[in-house]
Amino acid sequence: MMSVWDAVIGQPRAVEALERAVAAAHGHAASATAMTHAWLITGPPGSGRSVAAAAFAAALVCPREGCGECPACVEVRAGTHPDVELVRSTTLSHSKQLSSELVLKAADAPVLGGYRCLVLEDADRMTDAAANALLKAIEEPTATTVWILCAPSPEDLLATIRSRVRHIALRVPESRAVADVLVAEGVDRAMAEFAAQAAQGHIGRARGLATDAEVRSRRSMVLTIPSKLQTLGDCYAMAHKLKAAAEADSSQRLGEHLAHDREQTMAAFGEGAAGVSNRKVKEYAKSSLAELERVHKQQSSRSVRDELDRYFTDLLGYYRDVLALQCQAEVTLINADLRASLERHAANDPASQTMQRISALGRAREQLEANVPPALVCEALLVQLLHPSGN
Amino acid sequence: MKIRVEQSELSDACSWTTRTLPARPTIPVLAGVRIGAEEGGLHLATFDMETAAKVHVDAVVDEPGTVVVSGRLLADIAKALPKQPVELTLEGSRLSLRCGRSSFGLPTMPVEEYPELPAFPVEAGSLPGSEFGVAIAQVAVAASRDDTLPVLTGIRVELEGDTITMAATDRYRLAVRRLAWSPDDTSISRQVLVKGKQLADLGRTLGEGDSVSLSLGDPESGLIGFSSPDREVVTRLLHGDFPDYRRLLPKDSQTVAETDREELIESVKRVKLVAAERTTPIRLTFSDDEVLLRAGAGDDASASESLECSVSGDPIEIAFNPDYLLDGLQSIPNEKVTLAFTEPRKPAVLSDGPDYQYLLMPMRLGN
Repeated sequence: MMSVWDAVIGQPRAVEALERAVAAAHGHAASATAMTHAWLITGPPGSGRSVAAAAFAAALVCPREGCGECPACVEVRAGTHPDVELVRSTTLSHSKQLSSELVLKAADAPVLGGYRCLVLEDADRMTDAAANALLKAIEEPTATTVWILCAPSPEDLLATIRSRVRHIALRVPESRAVADVLVAEGVDRAMAEFAAQAAQGHIGRARGLATDAEVRSRRSMVLTIPSKLQTLGDCYAMAHKLKAAAEADSSQRLGEHLAHDREQTMAAFGEGAAGVSNRKVKEYAKSSLAELERVHKQQSSRSVRDELDRYFTDLLGYYRDVLALQCQAEVTLINADLRASLERHAANDPASQTMQRISALGRAREQLEANVPPALVCEALLVQLLHPSGN
Repeated sequence: MKIRVEQSELSDACSWTTRTLPARPTIPVLAGVRIGAEEGGLHLATFDMETAAKVHVDAVVDEPGTVVVSGRLLADIAKALPKQPVELTLEGSRLSLRCGRSSFGLPTMPVEEYPELPAFPVEAGSLPGSEFGVAIAQVAVAASRDDTLPVLTGIRVELEGDTITMAATDRYRLAVRRLAWSPDDTSISRQVLVKGKQLADLGRTLGEGDSVSLSLGDPESGLIGFSSPDREVVTRLLHGDFPDYRRLLPKDSQTVAETDREELIESVKRVKLVAAERTTPIRLTFSDDEVLLRAGAGDDASASESLECSVSGDPIEIAFNPDYLLDGLQSIPNEKVTLAFTEPRKPAVLSDGPDYQYLLMPMRLGN
């Protein structure tokens, strides 16, 4: 039998808690307290927070508790269910304006008589003003409204929000579970296992690695950096290359999105109609297209940072492997395909330097988050990777 | 799908349904209008996740079917066509429109992506459209536009036997209107909270019809439906506790004034010209047979004007937000308006009879 939970990978404990809540919400569970009106789903990037949140929402509005097949489940998946509001995070921050819209929606009666679900992805991107505007609505929603917030960790939210939600923690899914999903999607076993391992449990990333040769070649480029840094000049050249790669990847991905969204919007307003000028259609779609452009612009800035963060995560994995070899730890290597280069590093440098490099990567990721210009972050990072102790 | 329909009917139907189309749809397909052809005619439907509108049009249906096409484009084309029968035919993935010598081809959108329209609730009774439209406008004026308190953006609608009571408040004023209707079940007792903006829009469009029916689902249902013979609108209700407004209406009054409504409106408009800000109060002093209106003081610009007025009870001086006062005066349809006061710190009631009351909070009097 199909179920909305099929999409939630490698999270048996979280799914069990949510299923109990859904049963209670539908009025047949041992304990009515299993359900509450505000939830926070946390987990590292790629653990499937938004997927879990959407599955939970679908199960709440589905008469069969998330069968995955009925019109309600299909509509939630397509984003067209009138009672489920999915707020996707595409920009750097959630504004207070967005909060007010949500507060209004929280007072809505559900059209289909079940629950009104408000899913806020990346709730950690709320500004303080935006979070404060939500407080009252989250604390005392009407009986049929359910809030589902997603964030990397509870600490990313204001304490006042934190204290008003029930917390469900997702963990990093096991590589095996991720590989199984890829195999089910038609990827061959060896590729699926390599991708799942290299992506360190990040499902979307694993899918990209398994299915897109360009994503794989970008990873190889990034992972050769440690071997190529010999002089300060290399650091600056590489930093530049890294930033350029992030920009290229991000603008390609966003460009495809934007082109797709534009196409859809123009089609919805009647592009291609015989006997009608396209100028007319552009006029209808004007406000919609302007909104697309505006969002796209905000996305670009965030997207370059996301891309760089992905590269840094790959590098972290690399040094983690080096450290594992240096300590002779009995763990599976993330980058088993690069064993020769890992071993060379492990033999040549002391473990203390590897630790310093790992800290440098951690700092670089924080700087990205704190809006430091990407070029500076890359330069500082690569210099520290070359000279970890700062000499 | 293959249908023939009169241009004027198609055009009317299109312009009515597409009024509610969102300019920036959250999903592209919502910019579309769904055309369904079944035996006996066709219907056009739109849905923006808040309100679904559906209109029936008489048509000769040769072949039934359902398509979704760009709503505004269809409306503009339908309006511009010559006054002749229009033939709509689905050809592959395109809808062709032929009328006289004109011919158009519209791309269609996937029908299965269009969200299902909410089921129309059960009819509960009916009332004349024009009365309903006027009543809604009289109440909607007091509904809050402040997003932080969603409950107050709604209009409370109470159906008790053969009386409908509607109420709205934004904490500074409260408008209550009672009117008669013909319920299907005379023992009906239901209270719902309808979104103010949506209801005000509905009052304008359905108010044109002869008769409007109200439909409600079971008590858990979150929908309310309004229909005239060919048109149906169903909209999402608000949840939440509307304040107990009856408690706010004063039981008796110390001063009652009656005056010509139009003259008072003109006077207020003139005197308020000197108000430096939107919240600068206008002061009204009722005594003997006149009311004195004043605004502005000290070094600022000031204005005053007096108006004939019959006053019974104690003289009183009271101040209001001039815009809120005007809103109330303009919501009363009669020539005369009655203003009832208890004391300067307590709300005043504007009315023209037992069916409509506009309660207005005074502003604090300065020196």
